[in-house]
Amino acid sequence: MFRAPLSPRRAAGGALGLAALLLLTGCSAPDAAPANSGPVTGGTLTYASGDAEPTCLDPHVGGNYPQALISTQYLESLVSKNADGEIIPWLATEWAEAEDGLSWTFTLRDDVMFTDGTPLDAEAVRANIAHLQDPETLSSTGYLALGKVTSTEAVDPSTVRVLLSEPDSALLESLSQPWLAIQSPTAIARGMDENCASPVGTGPFVVEEWNRQNSITLVRNEDYTSPPADAEHDGPAYLERIVWRFLPDSASRYAALQAGEVDMIDNAQPDTIVQAAQDDALEELDAPRPGASNRLELNSGKPPFDDVRVREAFIRSVNVDDAVEGLFFGTAERSYSPLSSVEPLAVGDESLFGFDPEAGAALLDEAGWSERDAEGYRVREGQRLTLRLPVSTNQSIPAEQSLFEQVQATARDAGFEIVLEPLDLSSWYGALAANEYDLVSAPYTKVGPDVLRILYHSDGTTPAPSGYFANHAQVRNPELDAILTEAGQVSDPDRRAELYAEAQRIVLEGFYILPLYDQQNTYLLRSDVRGVRALPTVSAPTLYDAWLDR
Amino acid sequence: MSDLEVSTRIARSATSRRAGTRRSATVGEVVAALVIVFLLLSALLPGAIAPLDPLAIRPLEAFSPPSPGSWFGTDESGRDIFSRVVHGTASSLLIGVSATAIGLGLGLILGTAAGMLGPVVDFSVNRMLEVLFAFPGLLLALFFIVIFGPGVVTATIAVGISTAPGYARIIRGQLVSIRRSAYVEAATVLGRSRWQILYRHILPNTLAPIFVLGTLGVGQAIVWAASLSYLGLGAVPPAAEWGAMLAAGRTYISTAWWLTFFPGLFIVLTATAITVLGRRLQQRVREQG
Repeated sequence: MFRAPLSPRRAAGGALGLAALLLLTGCSAPDAAPANSGPVTGGTLTYASGDAEPTCLDPHVGGNYPQALISTQYLESLVSKNADGEIIPWLATEWAEAEDGLSWTFTLRDDVMFTDGTPLDAEAVRANIAHLQDPETLSSTGYLALGKVTSTEAVDPSTVRVLLSEPDSALLESLSQPWLAIQSPTAIARGMDENCASPVGTGPFVVEEWNRQNSITLVRNEDYTSPPADAEHDGPAYLERIVWRFLPDSASRYAALQAGEVDMIDNAQPDTIVQAAQDDALEELDAPRPGASNRLELNSGKPPFDDVRVREAFIRSVNVDDAVEGLFFGTAERSYSPLSSVEPLAVGDESLFGFDPEAGAALLDEAGWSERDAEGYRVREGQRLTLRLPVSTNQSIPAEQSLFEQVQATARDAGFEIVLEPLDLSSWYGALAANEYDLVSAPYTKVGPDVLRILYHSDGTTPAPSGYFANHAQVRNPELDAILTEAGQVSDPDRRAELYAEAQRIVLEGFYILPLYDQQNTYLLRSDVRGVRALPTVSAPTLYDAWLDR
Repeated sequence: MSDLEVSTRIARSATSRRAGTRRSATVGEVVAALVIVFLLLSALLPGAIAPLDPLAIRPLEAFSPPSPGSWFGTDESGRDIFSRVVHGTASSLLIGVSATAIGLGLGLILGTAAGMLGPVVDFSVNRMLEVLFAFPGLLLALFFIVIFGPGVVTATIAVGISTAPGYARIIRGQLVSIRRSAYVEAATVLGRSRWQILYRHILPNTLAPIFVLGTLGVGQAIVWAASLSYLGLGAVPPAAEWGAMLAAGRTYISTAWWLTFFPGLFIVLTATAITVLGRRLQQRVREQG
């Protein structure tokens, strides 16, 4: 039989059957055992971000989370943080605080080059800090974090000294953030436009091309030598290329991931997180951001929220618990603290945030908002109790926007009229700058509890060079200012914890904020993408250790 | 749209033979009429059809699929989708009708100017219309919204303005053909003034086709207005507007289809029903002509 000549027709049939078989096995391969036993070099990873496309790829300029996400791939900081929350070496190998706390000395690695060939040295660090503090740079996050730095000295090529106006217990945490990453001084000197388009760092990838409104292409840095102390491997990254796309629509983003068109997405929606958990081809990376919790801030700088009774009445009148339960499918936990749950010094007080419409109504009566108009809204002296809530559609995921609608609906029963204003990012910044808001939800990510100083110290009502001010609740409390100032200076950990607990108590009891939940930061990725982790600093993913098991 | 004029003429000569023999309504037309009656009832008496408050939230009953208790299911905030769709009818119809009225009004002014005020005006209006035709209608609407800001009122005006060039061109064509007709020539010979001719002879003969055009345009205007709301440029949350409901529901399209299906169904039904009825009217007008 086996010697019988094969007719052409039979041969064709056999080939077809074989092809079908190959196709079938090809299809089932991803579900089978991993294709490789260890990291494989090469390949392109496609990342789809739901965040707004940055207007500048240099995170010194402005300084928001979309910039942190991508710049983590090509820029590096002086120090990093490990999973236990300890500061670990990165571009700096050692550091020491002076006796009087008024200066810090950093020892730099002497074998690192920026990808344009400029050496990493003390002069480069000095130039970066000067760049961040230069009003022309329009920095907000980095600028605010360096508020106490008066000057920087290059002691010798690998030693840099940072001089402070007062001790800064948060300096190392601040320097670990991507917004204070160290860039090539040669590249910075090209001017803002060019540096925004192609910033140059020491990272594992290099910006190759930015196709605006579409994608950014990063290629591997073949000469890479400077992974943080907690990385999985040494030498260049495994991936050859990263295509960083912007897919603002969450449903299309998830569909693209399901179809394998992209390998990883951020800003995953609660319903898709639940769905992905049942899909073997997808995996979840949940990395809550440090710093502030997601919260509604009540603008205490103008009526009606300049009256603490109206603030408390509002907080008592809205039902957040049911909204979180209905919209987040158990993927988000209610917060009662100004700080993220990943901050060890976070303090919460559930008793202040119970849903109690009757208590709210009594407070409104007491504050003079006792009448109701024809539509059922509270009025005082002919003025309706109206609250404007500008919503950044780039920063608030749809579930959060729905949550605000529910807040609007429950507050309505109590007689508050909430006007929701969905805005794109720049109009939203504009509304804040013009003080045209009574309520706002503005995420703020920073490593460590010093974020409280940025958000609630009265200095935070003064805009940074970018025009952004962080104290949206417009808290101006001298007692709180004094506590936050002292907390930012003491190096004794117990005293520091005590002061920050006191500061949080003042913010919570003053009803300046309505905490909602941690800043949601869930990534979904294809199961054959391995080695991705979130850097413990601000929870941005690093693709340095990532490889494709296919 | 502009070849409607041509098709009107061709159709007119084709159907003139049947003039006088009135065709009875087709099944589609009866269904369309029923849909429109339902829509009008929904717009005028929404509470009688859907007694639940379209804005009332029940967070713990969010994402319930359609059931006997809640025909169209509930949305992400536990609001009743049937109520929202019914209560949204008035605003959707109002936007469609107002936008069409604006478009027709502008079209009437421009078309009459071009058709009646002599070759210089005709030439300049026509060139302007050609420039406007170079942009797709929705793009014109978006351009208008960029300048005047989003909202229901601006979206309505934007849709109206972006449909005006089409109407203007059809109206001009209509006027030009009527102006050349025998009875207008006769009136001119009899020494009637230009305005008398316009008022007594030309306008009455253009109004019927314009009314038909308007009816056909309402369906399109509703779709466009819903598109603008879908893009977040029209009605804002939590308004029960069909386009805004589609936009809010699309996030959950893979897990809760009913959030987008029902508002989408109503948009399609409304636009289709109005168009079917408009076509019927169009035929009637032709038969009479």
